[in-house]
Amino acid sequence: MSLTIESSRFGRVEVDPGSVIEFPDGLIGLTGSRYALLARDPDTPFLWLQSLEDPALALPVTNPHQFFSQFQVEVTDEDAERLGPELSAEVDVYVTVRAAEALEDFVANLKAPILVRSGRGYQVINQAPGCELRAPLFAEVEVETNGSSSSAC
Amino acid sequence: MLRITRKTGERIMLGDDVVVEVLEVRGQTVRLGIDAPQSLVIYREEIWLEVKRENEAAALAASAPLPSVRFKGAGE
Repeated sequence: MSLTIESSRFGRVEVDPGSVIEFPDGLIGLTGSRYALLARDPDTPFLWLQSLEDPALALPVTNPHQFFSQFQVEVTDEDAERLGPELSAEVDVYVTVRAAEALEDFVANLKAPILVRSGRGYQVINQAPGCELRAPLFAEVEVETNGSSSSAC
Repeated sequence: MLRITRKTGERIMLGDDVVVEVLEVRGQTVRLGIDAPQSLVIYREEIWLEVKRENEAAALAASAPLPSVRFKGAGE
């Protein structure tokens, strides 16, 4: 059984119901509580959180550990309660990405990561020190894109 | 906006199950204690605002196609 969703960006998309994430408290400041996590292109490290309630709302996200070797999430006791007992490797971590023309200008929000566990998602305020709201995404890793290469700095 | 004057140790109720207590007042700083159901998420306003803006910006900036990226050093 697949689910058909409408997306302004991607058109009509068939998704696996397993990719649907319920955000009981929404994403901070945005409307809606149901999103599908879409992997549109296996060649990019980016996924999309597509709102199931607003076809025009989709946010690119990525796994921060691929880009930031020192990245950690620390949550408040209250957020730990929301997430449920025995937090561990069962939690998938994503951060939102603000895209730009140049790779150097891509930034990721390390301050408010999105934690997903058993189909439920929560955007939390990261209590770990030094987590930037707009961390340059390609500052640490070296990547190749479309045949050209780009490095830090 | 409703304005209420409270002393240290006094509380206000928001509905039946949210309690805000003035714990300490020192100069320009007020320390509040909040008792609320787990379903109610509490943020400092400035952090909530900056994350909201960043979420909106991420959704808007995404009209640009995202690049295909391969990590150097990753297995071929």
